Amino acid sequence: MFIMRFTERPYVAYTEEDVRGSFRSSVRLTFSNSHFNPELGADLYNEYLDEYEFSEEAGFDGLMLNEHHNTPTCMGAAMNLEAAILARITKKPKIVLLGNPLPIFDNPLRLAEELAEIDMISRGRLVSGFVRGTGIESWATNTNPVHNRERFEEAHDLVIKTWTTPGPFRWEGKHYHFRVVNPFARPLQKPHPPIWIPGVGSPETLEWSARHHYPYIYLETDPQVTVQMTELYGKAAAETGYEPGPQNFGYLWRIHVQDTDEKASEVGQGFLIGNAGIGRVPMPGDFMAPAGYNSREGSKRILEQYKHSLRPDALYGGVDSAGWDAVVQSNRVVVGSPKTVIKKIRQGLEILRPGILGMWTNDGTIAHKDTMRCLQLMKEEVLPAVHEMGKELGLPGPFEQAP
Amino acid sequence: MAASAFESKSVTVGGARIQYFMAGKGAPLVWLHGVEGNLGWLPLHDELARNFTVYVPTHPGFAGSDRPPWLESFLDLSRFYPWILQELGITRATLAGHFIGGWLAAEMAVMSPQLAERLLLVDAAGVRPREGEITDIFLLGGEGARRLSFFDVNQVADYQRLFGSKPTPEEREAHVINREAATRYCWKPYMHDPSLPPLLERLRGLPSLLVWGREDRIVPVEAGELYRRAIAGARLEIIDRCGHFPHLEQPAEFMRIASAFLAR
Repeated sequence: MFIMRFTERPYVAYTEEDVRGSFRSSVRLTFSNSHFNPELGADLYNEYLDEYEFSEEAGFDGLMLNEHHNTPTCMGAAMNLEAAILARITKKPKIVLLGNPLPIFDNPLRLAEELAEIDMISRGRLVSGFVRGTGIESWATNTNPVHNRERFEEAHDLVIKTWTTPGPFRWEGKHYHFRVVNPFARPLQKPHPPIWIPGVGSPETLEWSARHHYPYIYLETDPQVTVQMTELYGKAAAETGYEPGPQNFGYLWRIHVQDTDEKASEVGQGFLIGNAGIGRVPMPGDFMAPAGYNSREGSKRILEQYKHSLRPDALYGGVDSAGWDAVVQSNRVVVGSPKTVIKKIRQGLEILRPGILGMWTNDGTIAHKDTMRCLQLMKEEVLPAVHEMGKELGLPGPFEQAP
Repeated sequence: MAASAFESKSVTVGGARIQYFMAGKGAPLVWLHGVEGNLGWLPLHDELARNFTVYVPTHPGFAGSDRPPWLESFLDLSRFYPWILQELGITRATLAGHFIGGWLAAEMAVMSPQLAERLLLVDAAGVRPREGEITDIFLLGGEGARRLSFFDVNQVADYQRLFGSKPTPEEREAHVINREAATRYCWKPYMHDPSLPPLLERLRGLPSLLVWGREDRIVPVEAGELYRRAIAGARLEIIDRCGHFPHLEQPAEFMRIASAFLAR
């Protein structure tokens, strides 16, 4: 089992009133950056890097980063910069980028170059995830959402070819045109850094990932829906001619541990701020999914998938609106003492059987000192136990068995 | 006014089935719809059909018409449309249109001046205002854009039927398709073509009428003024107590102005 640690690196120094005062009351996209204080930002970026640095010592196999734009819910707007720093200041863990939003790059060659540098500086520890980005990413970069999937696939093909085919060569695609593709520095890992695809279960992306043998990382999805999505991936894999195993799947899970159940429950409620932001003010649906972002067929399939989940708006984190008790009850957040947490993780792993476990250890208003205590307890008790569990339950990660 | 007899037809162009409505007699007039898609045969079209053979096509990619897979941009649309007219047997027509339809008419005219008998642009997109802005209807969302579109919805006889808040599943599906098509063609640069203003000079002398609602909160009147200045001889008529849809919100005044122009 491959265990990685994640936080969205939130910024929480604003109020619900501030959010309600933004254009269409949205915490993302239009929430004014006049609410951002760079002095505080400087502290936060450094604290978040400290946490990731300590995560190596804590025994995590991977340090997972993500990227979002125009939002206080995730300060990783230029994730590759954070990755480059971690590449240098850590020695062992994989640097797992989940992921670079391909469609918003007008120049995917620059991305290929950045990732190659990270791979070399880290001496081959990069895991290069790719995403379509939420609709917010399309808005923030003025990338036409109707071309999102086409650009995702074409940029992917171009990056992979750039990494694997000696240049110079020429690329005349639909969305990308380069006459001299020849970035001099190429990645250290051969044929290229592993590609993982995170998401919330868009059927077309699941099938695409399966066809490419790319592990799919479920981002905190409804467990029941996750099992169905795994079947969908399995079907596409079978059509491609292989049978996927745990090494093809990851599950990102909010898991926070403290010395006692009471303390963990008290601190863990900070998760509720999470990716919905202070006040959990519902975001306009067309910000997250503008016209054309999903194909019409894809939209129908997603709605069908989610019809039985805890909340109909679960796709966009709406699940947390059900309240803390319901969220904990349904295991969408795992909080407790090491003993409690270990027990619950086992239950989840038995059902979902992922070879990759993303531990989303803190978010929202969870304070740095509480996060550090959480990571310490992870080091002492949780990680050794979960690694054992992975062996016992037969859950190989993608570095133990090829996906 | 009851809709008179009109035909609902289609023509295949470059492999794409294009829907259109037509009626009337006389020289051809092509009415090009805005981002809301083809609202069907309207009383406005009846009025126009008294003196013209009126064609109301549904743009490729909007609900009712196919989009050829290669057709991706507003420029593509502008180059494709003359082919649609050609297949309809139209060699020269009065080109009339609202919002992006007006923009489309202007693009076709600067590309193929011989195609245009006259231009009738209504609260048209296409030219970027210098002081104001074309409101970002995508960012506003459907509901928000609709709220800004009218000076007073009570002036729109058919408002509930055309824009009412309880769409059928089919109407909702059509709305999604239309929004997607508008996004595809008009996302960037948003609702304008930087090359259009200098090219408009080519239309000097072409009978051109620009009609604007004084209270248009989507495309400011300033854009109409810029069109007027760019096309030598063009006239700009501004209708009071009227928003982005003069032909729906002040139909009588709109027709009075349009008829006088079209009779010339």
